[in-house]
Amino acid sequence: MIRLNLVLLLAVLASAFYLVHTQYESRRLYTAIDRAQAQARKLESEHEQLQVQKRAQATPSRVQQLATRQLDMRPVTPGITEYVVMPASAPAPATEAAR
Amino acid sequence: MSRSINYTSSPLLASKTPVWRSKFIVACLALAFAGLAGRAAYVQVFGNEFFQRQGEVRFARTLELPANRGKVLDRNGLILASSVVAQSIWAIPEDVDKNDPKLAKLARLLDMPLPELRRKLANEDKTFVWVQRQVDEPVARQIAALEIKGIYQRREYKREYPEGEAAAHVVGFTNVEDRGQEGVELTFNEQLSGRNGSRRVIKDRLGRVVEDVRDVVPPVDGRDLQLSIDSKVQFFAYQKLKDAVQAHKAKAGSVVVIDTITGEVLALANYPSYNPNRRRNLTGEQLRNRVLTDSFEPGSIMKPFIAALALEKGLVRPDTPINTAPGRITIGGSTISDSHPNNVLTVNEVIQKSSNVGTVKMAMQMSPREMWETYAQAGFGQKPQVPFPGAVSGRLRPYKTWRPIEQATMSYGYGLSTSLFQLAQAYTVFARDGELVPVTLLKTDEPATGVRVFSEKNAQAVRHMLAMATSAGGTAVKAQTIGYSVGGKTGTARKQEGKGYADKKYRAWFVGLAPVEKPRIVVAVMVDEPNNGQFYGGLVAAPVFSETVQQTLRILGVQPDMSVKPQIVTEVVEESF
Repeated sequence: MIRLNLVLLLAVLASAFYLVHTQYESRRLYTAIDRAQAQARKLESEHEQLQVQKRAQATPSRVQQLATRQLDMRPVTPGITEYVVMPASAPAPATEAAR
Repeated sequence: MSRSINYTSSPLLASKTPVWRSKFIVACLALAFAGLAGRAAYVQVFGNEFFQRQGEVRFARTLELPANRGKVLDRNGLILASSVVAQSIWAIPEDVDKNDPKLAKLARLLDMPLPELRRKLANEDKTFVWVQRQVDEPVARQIAALEIKGIYQRREYKREYPEGEAAAHVVGFTNVEDRGQEGVELTFNEQLSGRNGSRRVIKDRLGRVVEDVRDVVPPVDGRDLQLSIDSKVQFFAYQKLKDAVQAHKAKAGSVVVIDTITGEVLALANYPSYNPNRRRNLTGEQLRNRVLTDSFEPGSIMKPFIAALALEKGLVRPDTPINTAPGRITIGGSTISDSHPNNVLTVNEVIQKSSNVGTVKMAMQMSPREMWETYAQAGFGQKPQVPFPGAVSGRLRPYKTWRPIEQATMSYGYGLSTSLFQLAQAYTVFARDGELVPVTLLKTDEPATGVRVFSEKNAQAVRHMLAMATSAGGTAVKAQTIGYSVGGKTGTARKQEGKGYADKKYRAWFVGLAPVEKPRIVVAVMVDEPNNGQFYGGLVAAPVFSETVQQTLRILGVQPDMSVKPQIVTEVVEESF
């Protein structure tokens, strides 16, 4: 009888310790996941910021400025454009390219 | 000598203890246990709620989950407005050491004079003071590195507008609270702004989240808004307008580009404009979206509507001669004259040369009601159906109050008022073979269904007249482009000031379409008070139209409909294409 009680006591103690451990572990993991989520949010907003910056670097006004100043380019006119009509998808009969 | 004493015979135990003492002790213990049981019952059953709450206050926190405001995109998905994280700097004045030398550094980082910073921190009664809101991330990091006591940061969102001043009037802007103040940011505020979420969590000693107490209320992000604006077209239109306004020393200018197939607004720009990212010292002049909020007398631009109505009613044919000599006509005691008198003109030529007398002669054969109906059908005097703050309806008086002279002046565009936007929309009637197209600021892919105003044949006839106006002998030769046929009408009007017309203050505009045979776009340009010698619409506004049309059609991939002399060989040989 005493021996059985001892075994049960040990079992209760082991289970109790395991419970404490699990609780601790679950909180630790929860913290980790929370931190990871915060990191994800931060990266997302950073991504957003970089998207905007990327766009700001590629606005037509900036592109045009750089193209004319640094690369010596000028706007195209139909005079220096060769128009190619795709025969398959053209709804109207392919006309002579405008030149 | 030792003497042992037996326990049972110990003299110390010889005295008899009274029984009540042991009973008293037992009773005391029982009472104590009862007390404990009672307390336990109180804590866990009766007062449970209170203690739960007290516990939660100590370790549970409600965290706000901020929602993102939706982006504003152009028709190709490029960003016109987006929210980015920005830190706001706040302080507890009492905690800040006013003699800290680091305050000077802080002031420099914030681009704020030191006295102003000190003034903000002066009121020690306050427990919360904004020092500066929405500071850029790198600056915020440097401020955090200073580690000044009593200075804190709070995460907020700031709106960024990469296109800057070119699209400022369409997009508008938000205030520091992230609420729309102007433009589509205001009109579509509801759709763009999200709903913040929240979560209730338990935090441990180190401030880490260890558990969620309740279900998380997730934040609902605002929906993105895709406009019909094409940022390239928008930029080119704005740039050409800006150049023209500056070259002619004008007060202001506006331009609208409408896609005639879908009714989408491809560009809508005004000058002077402002940079929505740095909004200091803004004036009403800069903020005004003149395209929609300014109304004026449209002048000659109305003549094609009279011609179309005359054709529609069978009063004339395009080649019917009208005698406009001697360049004057008297109606009800008032005389209307042409600035360049002509002799006999066909209806085509009346529009081409913009003859007031010829137009009046056609108009006086109609009833006021017919004229009013046509104008109303074309959208004059009615608020345009665009979701935009402050869009005006212009003024078109009821036909019953028209006197004959008023009917005459209204035929060539005086005595009624309209916005540039309405004019552009009205001209879709000619571009769409007689149908008025509903105009939208949001992207659509489907062709719009219009409302018929004129018959197909007559609209095409008027379009031919508009093309004549831009060809040799017309009023707007400068509207011509390389490669694309265009048609349009100029207008020049003296500005109204008070009750009369101002001397030497003009407004010049041009509204047209291209290509003539199969119009794809309608472009309207207005220049306010050109002040550099030239003031005719054909000289001031038409060149802006020409360049805008040229660029827009190229961006849209429309093939030139006129033969173009190739210029490729004339340039430097090394250039390869």
